Amino acid sequence: MKTLPAFCVVLLVLWSVSEAKFDDFEDEEDIVEYDDNDFAEFEDVTEDPAPESPQRVVTTEDDEDEATVELEGQSENQEGDFEDADAPEGDTENEPYDDEEFEGYEDKPDTTSSKNKDPITIVDVPAHLQNSWESYYLEILMVTGLLAYIMNYIIGKNKNSRLAQAWFNTHRELLESNFTLVGDDGTNKEATSTGKLNQENEHIYNLWCSGRVCCEGMLIQLRFLKRQDLLNVLARMMRPVSDQVQIKVTMNDEDMDTYVFAVGTRKALVRLQKEMQDLSEFCSDKPKSGAKYGLPDSLAILSEMGEVTEGMMDAKMVHFLTHYADKIESVHFSDQFSGPKIMQEEGQPLKLPETKRTLLFTFNVPGLGNTYPKDMEALLPLMNMVIYSIDKARKFRLNREGKQKADKNRARVEENFLKLTHVQRQEAAQSRREEKKRAEKERIMNEEDPEKQRRLEEAALRREQKKLEKKQMKMKQIKVKAM
Amino acid sequence: MSTNSMSDPRRPNKVLRYKPPPSESNPALDDPTPDYMNLLGMIFSMCGLMLKLKWCAWVAVYCSFISFANSRSSEDTKQMMSSFMLSISAVVMSYLQNPQPMTPPW
Repeated sequence: MKTLPAFCVVLLVLWSVSEAKFDDFEDEEDIVEYDDNDFAEFEDVTEDPAPESPQRVVTTEDDEDEATVELEGQSENQEGDFEDADAPEGDTENEPYDDEEFEGYEDKPDTTSSKNKDPITIVDVPAHLQNSWESYYLEILMVTGLLAYIMNYIIGKNKNSRLAQAWFNTHRELLESNFTLVGDDGTNKEATSTGKLNQENEHIYNLWCSGRVCCEGMLIQLRFLKRQDLLNVLARMMRPVSDQVQIKVTMNDEDMDTYVFAVGTRKALVRLQKEMQDLSEFCSDKPKSGAKYGLPDSLAILSEMGEVTEGMMDAKMVHFLTHYADKIESVHFSDQFSGPKIMQEEGQPLKLPETKRTLLFTFNVPGLGNTYPKDMEALLPLMNMVIYSIDKARKFRLNREGKQKADKNRARVEENFLKLTHVQRQEAAQSRREEKKRAEKERIMNEEDPEKQRRLEEAALRREQKKLEKKQMKMKQIKVKAM
Repeated sequence: MSTNSMSDPRRPNKVLRYKPPPSESNPALDDPTPDYMNLLGMIFSMCGLMLKLKWCAWVAVYCSFISFANSRSSEDTKQMMSSFMLSISAVVMSYLQNPQPMTPPW
């Protein structure tokens, strides 16, 4: 592609040279007319073509160097011409005309040469004809950017992987002493511990542990920052965020009493109260300060009842919370946990969402993004807190008053829900009844035997009559009772 | 069933298998970045091919890389590879049709 323009230039040069040779004889007359007729006999035919051809070649778009060489050559030739013209003519019989005659002669070649010089414009070679890499600087920039992105992907992925492995190595012993099954991805036929983390993403790692008293299982999710995405890395430079460890313990129904309780940073609790179904329904008050129990100011409490808070905030729990307050984002115990509020488009769902007795913990890894594998050791005491909480949740039971209150709360929530969906449930029941009637009618129509048809119709009529009678009886009874 | 704090809390008979959470609504809710980037990448590469704009094709390559970096492991690799190939072909076609270097818009 780049040789094509060079080839064109060479062709042009050859063509112009050949043209120049033919043009000599055409333009000779023009030049003769241009000059005075007196000097026509002094015109040297052979000398003129020499300066002319370089001029013509120069007017094409060639390199500057070629042009300047030609100009110099041309000017040299012209000077030679002048000298040659002057010397012989000075010696001939035209002496009295020397000055006047040759003034014009000197000027005219000058004007012709200057006029021929004007059209010679030095044009810049366009970018696509240049053979340099510098003109492609934007492309080189793009490719460099891509390479930087790929490098960051590899480095980020490796760092996240190392952090995950460091966390697991630190916690492995504690987990294996508490759970039979440590690590399961659900694909094996037998329930054997895989003994390693389940990688969901380049920045999310899961671990499922099961086989312990009181709990069904524990799902640990290591949610690291997206170190493999350069855009995310740049965004984090503006706004630092921490890696998080989320732990979800599913409790057995008989091992946990009915209460909803949360403790954590104020910001986290406000967000949870808005998002989580159970916290918004059962803990309607704003997060309260935990200073009464000896907690630092950074932590707040959301609770269904005061009794629950009293029961939960025992000495050891307070000790855990105070010492590791900077790493705790939120701790949430609930028997009515169903996840975040579901935004449905068709209105309210017809059934209450399924609930599970759950303990949820969210911890922040120290370092605010600049984490090193050795920082994972700082999270080990928090895992101890989790194990302690599991045992505590099993031991803690509400007293009679508390239980009554809790039951009342749950009944209230259910009633509210039923009220909201009453209209929809009625409509659903109505449509179901109509469906049944239609199906029966179709069956009657499809019966080929006219006898059977008649019998089915009669049966349907009788059923409807009975229903009407029942309704009438009920109305009568209500009227009597009212009276 | 009373358990001593000294005894082993492990119960092999109570092992439950891991059940991946239902993935119908969750992936889209958690993080829509890979899906958006995939779509953007395809749009830009089509623009680059149809309108012969080099910068569109380069942006498409970047979008498909970002989508790949943010993708979930459950996602289809075929989708990822197809958008990647489309963006690369957009860049190559733009340069074959017009080998001039890209001019900055300023």
